[in-house]
Amino acid sequence: MTSRGEPMRSVVVAGGGIVGWSAAAALRRRIPALQVTVLPIPTGADALADRIGVTLPSVLEFHDDIGISEGDVLGRIGCTYRLGTSFEGWSDDLPDYVHAYGDYGRALGTTSFHLHWIRAAHAGRVPPFDSYSATAAMGRAARFVHPRGEPDSPLAAFGYGLRVDPDRYRQMLRAYALHLGVAEQAGTIAGIELRGEDGFLAALRLDDGTALAADLFVDCTGPAARLRSAIDARFDSWSDWLPCDRLLFAEAAAAAEPPSLDRAVALPSGWRWESALPSAAAHGLAYVSALLGDSKAARVLQTSAAVEPAEAPVTIRQGRRPEPWLRNCVVIGDAAVAVEPLEWTNLHLAHSMIDRMVAKMPDRDGSAVELWDYNRESEAEALRVRDFLQLHYATAARPKNDFWRAAAAAPLPDSLAHSLRLFRERGRLPYYEEETFTRGSWAAVLLGQGVMPRRTDPIIDIIPAEQADRAMRDLRERISQTVPTLPSQAAYLRHIVASARR
Amino acid sequence: MGERVNIVVVGGGTAGWMTAAALVKLLPRRCSVHLVESEAIGIVGVGEATLPHIRSFNERLGIAEAEFMSWTRATFKLGIEFQGWGAEGESYIHPFGTFGYGAGEIDFHQYWLRLRQAGVAVPDLEQFSMGATIARMNRFQLPASDPSSLSSTYGYAYQFDATLFAPYLRAIAERLGARRTEGRVVAVNRNAVSGDIESLTMESGETIAGDLFVDCSGFISLLIGKAFGEPFQDWSHWLPNDRAIAMPCRTETALSPYTGVIAMPAGWRWRIPLQHRTGNGYVYSSQYIGDDEAREALVASVEGEPIAEPRILRFRAGRRERSWVRNCVAVGLASGFLEPLESTSIYLIQQAITYLVELFPEREIVSSDRDEFNRLIDMEYDRIRDFLILHYHATRRSGTPFWDYVRTMPIPDSLAEKMELFRRRGRVVKYREGVFLDASWVAVYLGQGVIPEGHDLRADAPPIDSLARGMEKLHADIRQAAARMPSHREHLDAYCPMAKVA
Repeated sequence: MTSRGEPMRSVVVAGGGIVGWSAAAALRRRIPALQVTVLPIPTGADALADRIGVTLPSVLEFHDDIGISEGDVLGRIGCTYRLGTSFEGWSDDLPDYVHAYGDYGRALGTTSFHLHWIRAAHAGRVPPFDSYSATAAMGRAARFVHPRGEPDSPLAAFGYGLRVDPDRYRQMLRAYALHLGVAEQAGTIAGIELRGEDGFLAALRLDDGTALAADLFVDCTGPAARLRSAIDARFDSWSDWLPCDRLLFAEAAAAAEPPSLDRAVALPSGWRWESALPSAAAHGLAYVSALLGDSKAARVLQTSAAVEPAEAPVTIRQGRRPEPWLRNCVVIGDAAVAVEPLEWTNLHLAHSMIDRMVAKMPDRDGSAVELWDYNRESEAEALRVRDFLQLHYATAARPKNDFWRAAAAAPLPDSLAHSLRLFRERGRLPYYEEETFTRGSWAAVLLGQGVMPRRTDPIIDIIPAEQADRAMRDLRERISQTVPTLPSQAAYLRHIVASARR
Repeated sequence: MGERVNIVVVGGGTAGWMTAAALVKLLPRRCSVHLVESEAIGIVGVGEATLPHIRSFNERLGIAEAEFMSWTRATFKLGIEFQGWGAEGESYIHPFGTFGYGAGEIDFHQYWLRLRQAGVAVPDLEQFSMGATIARMNRFQLPASDPSSLSSTYGYAYQFDATLFAPYLRAIAERLGARRTEGRVVAVNRNAVSGDIESLTMESGETIAGDLFVDCSGFISLLIGKAFGEPFQDWSHWLPNDRAIAMPCRTETALSPYTGVIAMPAGWRWRIPLQHRTGNGYVYSSQYIGDDEAREALVASVEGEPIAEPRILRFRAGRRERSWVRNCVAVGLASGFLEPLESTSIYLIQQAITYLVELFPEREIVSSDRDEFNRLIDMEYDRIRDFLILHYHATRRSGTPFWDYVRTMPIPDSLAEKMELFRRRGRVVKYREGVFLDASWVAVYLGQGVIPEGHDLRADAPPIDSLARGMEKLHADIRQAAARMPSHREHLDAYCPMAKVA
């Protein structure tokens, strides 16, 4: 038996994908006393965090925490930059909109910009909400520069993510983890041994007879959750809320000029994505198998994106495992939360879970209270990501399509219902703990999809409408002056790669 | 814009005039405010000591700090000194602000714990708080805005004469158009169909109609309690104090820039130095001590000549299930009561007003606004509740029935888990929103002898020698920076001397 106060000494990470190697590197780097062993079993086609090389801005913090710089990524494996996603066709009669990772407008005093935009929209015609985001404008123009820091510039501060080739990224992380002292144990799992007294995992029995014992087992094996499944099969399905259960993947040649936005295009019976990785353009289609047959889905992707599916359709089951840290086994990535790649949260969630695992590392006894804290935060985070994804469906306006009508009519979880009611009433966005997306992101999607609050929030009365209008005009002018002076992403990448070599 | 909302505020104490002033100032075109109060009914004048949040409230009302402080005879408050809470004879300061530089992902106290546990002689954590250090030296200076400066790591609030605050706000409110009617409310008239309040009948026979009624009637809770019968959640089994005796006296000792909270045999005593006098009070449980005995104990313990007769207050810890019911919003004591141990009374009033302004309704009130208001108020109360219970439960005091009870009473699960989490490796449950964030919990845990057995393993990353040297330097830097500041009295005399009493 282990006792209180004895720190974890050894960890086995199961899963040889991006998530597994990221977890191993983080554990080793941030808790140097840990012995970390990776069992690099391949993860399934449905392990999305392992196969989609599209990240949110949080990736940079994660890299920084484990000691990888942006220059390392660029120099070793190459990357492209992304400022957000262009949502196309999500509401009939409305133009495309951009969910960018930068400010939308500027707060006036203590009042949020989006409330001023709503007031202007109530008063008459107003340019789209995203036209007040310099980041969105830079993204639309396929340009890119790093944030400039000057407090006065509309590009002073904004977030951006990276796109990487998943395979090369995984190799880089593996090399880095090994460099940090992570051990690699080849093999496949033949059996899982449990401790009789408390049901904790004792060891993984490998096909060659080796027993891989550890204090803690980190399950990065994707939705199959190979380790966790040995002790618990519970799964909270979100299929009532997020109906897509099938994905098709395809690839095309890389664009010569990488765009700065990824695309999420609504189609009559699903949506498709397009993302410019460094060495290829990644495509995909998400749909509901009961409404669209697989062969028909392949034709949809062919006609809408002019690409051939590269493999058989992938079945996904959206939802989460309750108590992601159970006994001495913690599920990370798609093993814990499985969602479609809309808004690219799969790898982001994996990073967040890794970070939380490191921060809340319990002792060898797997104390209930530390698991409680980990699980409490994990649940709050997962549910709000679910809410944010469902928001796209709940507010999409494509009444001519059965798929979209059903999605819009689906019941809402209480927290999303509350958010939507408040926003529809007055444009207010309630904030919950462990929120992944900012209020700006919520507003970008809501207003981009045409959800117009019934009234203007009185809280902005203190700023006269004329003053707000002037500020809005000035901002648009500065954005339209600034963006054309920026280099294209392709030119910018050539420039920074060249100066790094000098 | 909809029609103006006619607001009737019942009660003219601190809550009533704060509400009236904020509404007419922030929503001048949305509402008309009519306040009814009776000079025959005394005011409680809660909270002579405040939290830093009050500064933003004053700022939004356009109140100039020096003038306000001069008018209310205010002093600065850097935190609270708790005497005899962990055990007889002990003292610690709960400062407003952080420990160390307050930056970085790993909390400062984790490094401190690591050094202590390694046997390195490091001073008490309090000595790494700029705010606590200045407080102990009886000095004061406004914090710096440069985040890299140690002088930016503390905040401050005020200690002021609450009976002068309400008249100060009344002048602002009336200047901006608030009406006031003197007299007692004798009837609350409700619509027979909807149940909403339609009007109040005054003793004079006058009827005062309104759309929204704000119950600032204090403990009597005239509208939400008496008229609506909203249930009261009783927390007295966790917070058994139900009486306070207050008595001001002349100041004999140094003018401390902090509030004193001194453990007493059946409760605790406050000591709040203002410019012209010191406020004192004994908060106790009538189960454990009689009023006469408490009065004698207070009179015997104050430092200078009494200025007024002791005055007794009766209360009960808890809150209304909902603070906004139909067209009635309760603000202040009408909505709930938490003893002033952490100076939260005015803070709770302010939050209720802030949320009311943020969720300001139309004449026809929608439920989503009410729901959000109640969600936020509940969160505020519940967080403060656990924090207060911690002060009583985390004690080694014994030998008096009061302390024996609170030391051994069952506590809410939410608190038990937080305490156990801290005991193991010094971890604090993190919140992004609300009052009393990490550093406050750390101050009270360590101050009252809840000492972690271990520390966050991430704090093991830096070499121990450089960590110890860095700590030593930080300690010296804090002492030097504090020693350069003027005394509290000097600063007050230069900045905001009170008007000479005629």
